[in-house]
Amino acid sequence: MNMMGAGTSQSPPPMASITDVGALFQNAKKYEELNVIGTGAYGTVYKARDLHNGGQIVAMKKVKVALTEDGIPLSTLREIALLRQLEAYRHANIVRLLDVCHGGQLMERDQQLVLFLVFEHVDQDLESYLKKAPGPLSENRIRSMSYDILSGIDFLHSHRIVHRDLKPHNLLVTSTGRVKLADFGLAKTYDTEMKLTSVVVTLWYRPPEVLLGVSYNTAVDVWSAGCVLAQLHTRKPLLPGSSDSHQLSSIFRLIGRPSREEWPENASVMLDSFPAYKPMDLQEIIPRIHPHALEIIKGMLVFDPAKRLTALDCLEHPYFTEEPLP
Amino acid sequence: MPYWYYDKKDLQSTPSFRDGISNETENRYRKEGARFIIDTGSKMDLGYNTVATGVVYFHRFYMFHSFKTFPRYITACCCLFLAGKVEETPKKCKDIIKVAKSLLTEHKFATFGDDPKEEVMTLERILLQTIKFDLQVEHPYGYLLKYAKCLKGDKGKLQKMVQMAWTFVNDSLCTTLCLQWEPEVIAVALMFLAGKLSKFEVMDWNGRVPRHNAWWDMFVEDITMELLEDICHQVLDLYSPQPQSSGSDSPPLQTPNKQPKNEKKPLCVTPPTSVSPVAVTTKPVVTPIKNGSEVKIEPPKMEPLRYSYPPYPGLYPPVYTAPPPTIPPPPRLPITSGPPPGLVYTEPPPAPAARFPPVNVPPPNYFPPLPGRGPPPPGPPPRPYYPPP
Repeated sequence: MNMMGAGTSQSPPPMASITDVGALFQNAKKYEELNVIGTGAYGTVYKARDLHNGGQIVAMKKVKVALTEDGIPLSTLREIALLRQLEAYRHANIVRLLDVCHGGQLMERDQQLVLFLVFEHVDQDLESYLKKAPGPLSENRIRSMSYDILSGIDFLHSHRIVHRDLKPHNLLVTSTGRVKLADFGLAKTYDTEMKLTSVVVTLWYRPPEVLLGVSYNTAVDVWSAGCVLAQLHTRKPLLPGSSDSHQLSSIFRLIGRPSREEWPENASVMLDSFPAYKPMDLQEIIPRIHPHALEIIKGMLVFDPAKRLTALDCLEHPYFTEEPLP
Repeated sequence: MPYWYYDKKDLQSTPSFRDGISNETENRYRKEGARFIIDTGSKMDLGYNTVATGVVYFHRFYMFHSFKTFPRYITACCCLFLAGKVEETPKKCKDIIKVAKSLLTEHKFATFGDDPKEEVMTLERILLQTIKFDLQVEHPYGYLLKYAKCLKGDKGKLQKMVQMAWTFVNDSLCTTLCLQWEPEVIAVALMFLAGKLSKFEVMDWNGRVPRHNAWWDMFVEDITMELLEDICHQVLDLYSPQPQSSGSDSPPLQTPNKQPKNEKKPLCVTPPTSVSPVAVTTKPVVTPIKNGSEVKIEPPKMEPLRYSYPPYPGLYPPVYTAPPPTIPPPPRLPITSGPPPGLVYTEPPPAPAARFPPVNVPPPNYFPPLPGRGPPPPGPPPRPYYPPP
């Protein structure tokens, strides 16, 4: 038996083997899973009860992380550290991260770790909110929700986080009608895990640069948000493609096929594989839209990521600044 | 969100204490573990941030576990290993173990078990759970440089002061200060101490307003002289001569004679100076003067201090290199006139924006904000200044 620093006047301390201590955490069960809220490419989200906090209902996301030779991957640790750090700001349009824990290693030689990200539970997401809406949303409601979404995105971007999967399903609507962004931050971790899953991810909010397989940046979220903002007006997805190529042609049918100069060199698809679409008038698709709202959405749905508005540009647009929000 | 600050009562009633380890012994274990992280990190060319993050993990870990359950040197290795990944200066686990082996006696290394790497891997998960995945840690270094930028006065003296304060911050890792106070507070206190010892009196500073009595009022509200002194004492106590403990692994220290009057220092582990071969006391180095917030350093008491912090201008300034109490200390190295160590290899933080109470500052700009942003986002909610009861 190894002795830890036992002194002459001290009897050898009873030293638990480190490997036994894993059991320590299994006992301290903190959350009781209630039911599955959603299953995505990145893991399953459960509705759960926080047994240590008066039975508070939480949303618990289970993410499987493949362990490397050197334990938990650096990228995963960095991302969790950043999520924790962001939480200190308590941004109004970001879902609260309450806890992070892991489920221990299931088996001795199991080379994966189950991580639990525990978030505040918000009953409704924008997808179901729009489905349930009895009629068109009021102009003020649309504007306030648009502002919330863009504020959340701007906050993430100012901390160099790209959401990459913005869609109504990830936008939570609180009982007071505020919108909060959820499901961001573990992009690199998800990437690794994605290769192991075959879950279909919705393409409707994907920007062209991602579909073309070229490099991308924060502008991807602005594109996705543009699609969501349009959906707030019509309560229907703007670009419901059914495959990568179908999604791309839907995009070009709307905004026009980009010019040869704009087409990225290393794109995975040829420009000529698409008909030479002319841009459509967005107002025909979203009738009765406020001209400012139309201008913003047009600025967000630009092919070239560098020419797209940023989230901050949008927030400073007269659409949000000219009349007070409710 | 986890809260990581404890009052002194909590720091005395730790899992190790409840497990039969005296406070004195625990503090020594903490000090040895911290030193070991510093030494291992320095030997592997890890930066001060990574090393300090590892040490903070270490101190936090033992607020939940006993030193009897988790031997300190392997925990220390694991903390450094995790900190390396979090601070994006990763080192291979096997390399850390290799260095650890070279620094430890065979007996101490035996606590790593038959498969040291596997032990560290298992421990990593326990560590993560224990520190609740709260991986991003702030340190006083950045604040130190930020505050120094605002101070006016002789440049050379200021640099010396900053260098000395930097060394004190290094050394403070061997105390439990990071479990008591925010890094901003520690930075202020140790700059205050360095200012006193290097005779650099701050008369004026940028951004001064009439209601400020001292420069730190710009950065931290409600710092009392009592608090500053308490923090300084905790660091100065490290330099007090103490029994040599490097021979055996962990002989319990002789119970030091309590100094009942000194209620401010329940954490003090130093034996009475009378038994010490180096017959100079560092306490009380800082004595409050009645009717004022001025503090005076008693000149003769500075000597032992100087021996204890060799101000090497090296990449990672060696800290608290186990002052040999039984051997007369070597002649004091002169303080180099070069820039302070921190300034040598660190990108100084951006100049502070006017008044920015540190209890409200946002998390560190680990990633600098994107250019052309609007105003900075609101800071995190203020933490209670004093740890909650």
